[in-house]
Amino acid sequence: MVADEPTFARLMVAAQNGDKAATNVLLSEVGVWLERYFRRRVPPHSIDDLVQEVLIAFYTKRATWDPSRAFLPWLAAIARYRWVDHLRKVYKHESKELLEDDAVEDSEEEVVMARVSLDRLFGELPAAQAEAIELVKIGGLSIRETAEKTGQSESLVKVNIHRGLKKLAALVEKAD
Amino acid sequence: MNTPTPTPAPRSRAELIASLSEEITPVRRVKPSQGYALIALGSVVAAVISVVLHRLWMGIFAGEASSYFWIINGLLLVLGIASTAGLVAGSLPRVGARGNAPAWSAAMLAVVPVAALLGIATAAPGDTHATSGLMFWKCALYALCAGLLVAGSAIAVLRRGAPVSLERSGWLTGLAAGSLGSIAYGITCPLDSLAHVGIIHVLPVPIAAVIGRFVVPPLIRW
Repeated sequence: MVADEPTFARLMVAAQNGDKAATNVLLSEVGVWLERYFRRRVPPHSIDDLVQEVLIAFYTKRATWDPSRAFLPWLAAIARYRWVDHLRKVYKHESKELLEDDAVEDSEEEVVMARVSLDRLFGELPAAQAEAIELVKIGGLSIRETAEKTGQSESLVKVNIHRGLKKLAALVEKAD
Repeated sequence: MNTPTPTPAPRSRAELIASLSEEITPVRRVKPSQGYALIALGSVVAAVISVVLHRLWMGIFAGEASSYFWIINGLLLVLGIASTAGLVAGSLPRVGARGNAPAWSAAMLAVVPVAALLGIATAAPGDTHATSGLMFWKCALYALCAGLLVAGSAIAVLRRGAPVSLERSGWLTGLAAGSLGSIAYGITCPLDSLAHVGIIHVLPVPIAAVIGRFVVPPLIRW
């Protein structure tokens, strides 16, 4: 069972005052909460890395929580910031890959995010961009296969993936 | 014989938590009031340096300043306060609706140069009043320099906090620096025509905003 808001707030006050035991419990509970948060947003094998990354950010920025405000929205904001950062890294990696190599790597590591989140975000993208990302990054088709299937040129497929991923990262950052 | 150093296994979450808990120390909470104070201090220092370098325009106190001077500097102040408030609020992690007061304040200020340009465009031939003070473009440069101090304070506030929207923080830093910097320098400038104050003294705001948008995010990333 994940701790509730008052428990989190109480533990956080103790952590801000340097209480080691409370910090240990708090970080463990925050870890569980983050695991749930990311479960719908990133591929399963990326969750633990991202959770650890957020735990470090959480720890480093613990002075920015104000006890007069709710704890969980504060934590959610940090988690979302790290998630966007993760997307940006993926986007940069994907852009570089598209510019350097015609072939698409089969690594799941670079899949932008879990389908659940993508379905909603895809609605915001032009159809051609969403289709290119879906076929190449999720369906696993090559650029050439995607070009044949969609009727777009290979260059256009690459451009659509490049622009679509960039827009996705921006959409996530802007969404509250 | 040297044995090869084993590659360390990736740290588990439990190990990370244990290590962070062991190193925990008490922290001083970051308060919004500190952010306001630091940006206000940066603005005051910018104004003092401007006065030292250019001398205070005494006409402000002698009742010589035109209505344009007061109205435009008033709008700059409103924009400065709105963008500072947005910036300080955004320096602490939060989710939910964000106020758009800075955008509306900037839109109100934008009316001034448009009005000044319309005045110039519709002025009778030979009417020099409409373009009075336009050639003193260096005022915009001095205001931007004054804005650097405000921007420095704003960046310090953001670095101390944990802004989660870097692009927005960049825009707000630029808006605050441009508007408050313009006021800080503006108290030394005796040119108070609509064309001069409305165009030359407002110009630093969009320039600083665009610079802030691109320069600030890498400086506050965490």
